[in-house]
Parts: sequence; structure tokens; C-alpha cells
Amino acid sequence: MKLETNHATRAERAAYLAGALEGLYSGEAVPAATIGGRRAAIARLRQFDVTRYGTTRNHVTKRGISFLSPYIRHGVLALAEIRDYILTRFGAGRDTTKYINELAWRQFWQLVYAEYGNRIHQDIEPPKVPRNGTRRSLPDDILQATTGLVCMDESLRELYREGYMHNHARMWFAAYLQHWRGEDWRDGAELFYTHLLDGDPASNSLSWQWVGSTFSHKPYYFNRQNVEKFSDGEYCKRCPLASGGCPFDATYEQLARDLFGMSQEELEQGGQRRGQQSRR
Amino acid sequence: MPTPIVWLHGDSLSPYDAALVAHPAAPAVFVFDEPLLKQARLSFKRLMFIYESAIEALEGRTHELRRGVVVDEVLDFCRAHGGDEVHVSASVSPRFATYLGLLRGNVRVVVHSPPPLVGWSDAAPRRFSHFWRKVEAEALRPTGDGPPELREE
Ligand SMILES: Cc1cc2nc3c(=O)[nH]c(=O)nc-3n(C[C@H](O)[C@H](O)[C@H](O)COP(=O)(O)OP(=O)(O)OC[C@H]3O[C@@H](n4cnc5c(N)ncnc54)[C@H](O)[C@@H]3O)c2cc1C
Repeated sequence: MKLETNHATRAERAAYLAGALEGLYSGEAVPAATIGGRRAAIARLRQFDVTRYGTTRNHVTKRGISFLSPYIRHGVLALAEIRDYILTRFGAGRDTTKYINELAWRQFWQLVYAEYGNRIHQDIEPPKVPRNGTRRSLPDDILQATTGLVCMDESLRELYREGYMHNHARMWFAAYLQHWRGEDWRDGAELFYTHLLDGDPASNSLSWQWVGSTFSHKPYYFNRQNVEKFSDGEYCKRCPLASGGCPFDATYEQLARDLFGMSQEELEQGGQRRGQQSRR
Repeated sequence: MPTPIVWLHGDSLSPYDAALVAHPAAPAVFVFDEPLLKQARLSFKRLMFIYESAIEALEGRTHELRRGVVVDEVLDFCRAHGGDEVHVSASVSPRFATYLGLLRGNVRVVVHSPPPLVGWSDAAPRRFSHFWRKVEAEALRPTGDGPPELREE
């Protein structure tokens, strides 16, 4: 079936596509604010100031990142083009290096995908910590963004509405879902893949495995202090659980014991002894 | 002289796609993969983003966007335009390899390589730190001056 492409406005285009691709998508037929195409990609690249990148990239609410991921994922912009532009415009330096280092993460995951193929969607290495998740559909509070934790719900809402989530928020959520909630990483990865405009088999599944420790030497986890620091306390300020009941409000040592039943030092040393099977 | 057509897929939605650039006058086609999408059920936002990107990438040349079985649609488009050679950019996706195999049973296919950030021919690295140590110097060396649209600035 041939699709039409000559619509006067974005709203008309969206309305047409909703019908033309009926049966091929989930959820409401509402486009994200991010517009596809090379012109929008170039505009974003031009707007991006790399000199703030090193100090703000991990900051979830300050947003010193480039927002280029959907364009990179779909090949609208090539990594090499972006690298060349950033070097030409800003020159070499700490921030430029940091940014290009992040671009290289994408190529890294792509190389792994080229070799492993669809095996990236299963555990690549044994988990380094005990786990007990089984595959099932995700709980409603995740799907509705009503966990009661502001730092999770805000990020989930942005994911569902705009198809984007900040990298640090992705790490927090992936850790929360796996380590605190005991859900199988593949269900989390599917949720992300469904909604992210930049949803990429390699970057997505392998990042989930990196957080979970099946493609890294230890699991990634975080605590409340980390959330406060990288959001200027904005989430906690509004969170009903901040004054009691926040599951992240503990030291890393305490969390290592609560979540994984081992000390931080044991985690560093590679967690579960090799050959020991997960509880799954 | 062979008559080329270009197959544009979702990993390469740029007007500077290597296959499009190699054949500026060739008709080109993009196909929404119906069986895949029926099963994956991505959000509408994603499909809209792809649609907008594909339209812009194909602007200014004979082109079609279609919905259907990718290999069948590409072959049909090729026939309709009297083509006998399909040009396409490489992708690491296993599905791409499958489609390439099916196409090759029917028509000559030429695969173009998009420019990588860095060259890498060894086995896939297991840890990023190891990879970065090996490629850092090359990664920080420019190979051009960026998107043509921004060169005048
Ligand atoms: C659980 C989890 C799932 C993820 N899933 C995806 C995904 O499906 N698709 C995707 O493109 N990225 C994914 N990422 C990586 C990262 O979160 C996004 O690339 C980044 O948030 C995109 O925002 P940006 O373009 O503003 O990033 P910037 O910080 O401006 O980075 C520039 C570009 O570098 C690349 N990049 C940066 N960090 C990473 C990274 N850690 N891994 C791979 N590439 C990176 C991206 O192409 C990005 O656009 C995931 C990370 C996690 C923790």
C-alpha cells in the first residue's frame, strides 16, 4: 500500500498517518513535540552548546545534553558528522572529549549487536547478584506513572508523552525496576523500546543488561543522595515519600545488603561467585 | 548500464544516506514493515517521527513511502521503475541481513557503508573502557567539517 505524503500541516499529517498505519502501533495517535527529519535535526545540533556538557550531562533537570538521540538512532544524522561539527565549532577540550566519548557508546553497542545479533535480548553473562524476577506484564503503577515516587513518575510521564527520558533517569528507573521491584529487565526494555523515539535494540537492551550486571561486572544502583544531587532536590521537594518511606534513602553499603544480600566490597569483587546460578 | 533504485530503511533516514548520495537521480522507496510493526506495536510517536524523517530524506526525487512486506514492496517498486539493481545502506540489524538475503535471490543488490565514527575490525569489545582506550585518538580526529547545511556558518 502506497502512503500519501503531501499534507499542509503537521496535524493533518498525523491524522492521515493514524489511519494509514492503523493496526501497527499502540496507544493514542498523538505525535511527540520532537519533529522528525533532517531540518529539525540540524536545528537541534546548531542549538547545542557543548561547553556545558561535561558539568551538566548527568544532571536530570538542568538538561545540558544535545537531545539528538532520535536523529542518531534513525540515521538522520551520522555520528561522524556530529563529531566533525562539534570539533570544528568548539575545538578540542574536556567537554568535546566527553561528548564524543558518549557518541562512541553508541558505536560500541552497535558493534556488540553486529556480533551477537538477537542474543542481545537475552542475558549475555550470568548476573553477578541474586535475582528473582520472572517475566510478566509490568505492574499498573509503572504503566500509569503512579508509583508515588516523583523521581520515577516524572520521568515515566515524559517517556509516555514525549518518547524521551534523560540518560541518568533511565539508569535510575532501570535500576529501580530490576533491583527494587524485582521485575525482569526484558519487560523494562520492552517498555522503553515501545515508547522511546530513540528506541534502539542495541543501546536499549544492552544498557538494561549493563544496569542489571549481565553485561557488566557489577549492577548499577543509586541512592536518594544521588537523586537529590542530580536534580537539585527538585523531585524530593515535591515527593510525599521524602519525609518517610523513600526506598532510596540509605547508604550504598546498606542498599547493597538490602538489595543484593552482600557488601559493597563483595559487589566490587564481582558479586556471586562464578558458576553460582541466579535464583531465577 | 544497470538501472538503480534505492531502498531507504529506518536506520538511515538522511538525504545524505550513502546509497541516495551515490545515485542522486535514482527513484527511492521506504517501507513501513507491516508484519514487524504488527507484532512490535511501537508508539505512534515513533512511527510519526520515522514518517517525517523519511519524507524529508526523499524530498526532491522520485519516491514512494509504502506499508507492507518490505522485500515484496522493494521488488515491486524496482519493477515499476524498470530497475535492475537495488542500492541500500548497511545496517547491523539481523533483520536487515535476512531481507538482504531474500532480495539477493531476485535482484542484484549493492550495499553502501555509512561513515563510522571510528574504524573497528576486531571482534566486538566486551567493555566500553577497553574499546575507548583503543579508539580515543581516532574518535577525536575530524574526518570533515560536519553537515553540509552548517558549513557556511
Ligand atoms: C536503560 C537505558 C536504556 C537506553 N536506551 C537507549 C535507546 O534505546 N536508544 C538510545 O539511543 N540510547 C539509549 N540509552 C542511552 C542514553 O540514555 C541516550 O542515548 C541519551 O539519553 C539520549 O539523549 P541525548 O541525545 O540528549 O544524549 P547526549 O548526552 O546529548 O548524547 C549524545 C548522543 O550520544 C549517544 N549516547 C549518549 N549516551 C549513550 C549511552 N549511554 N549509550 C548509547 N548511546 C549514547 C546518543 O546517540 C546520544 O544522542 C539508554 C540508556 C539506558 C540507561
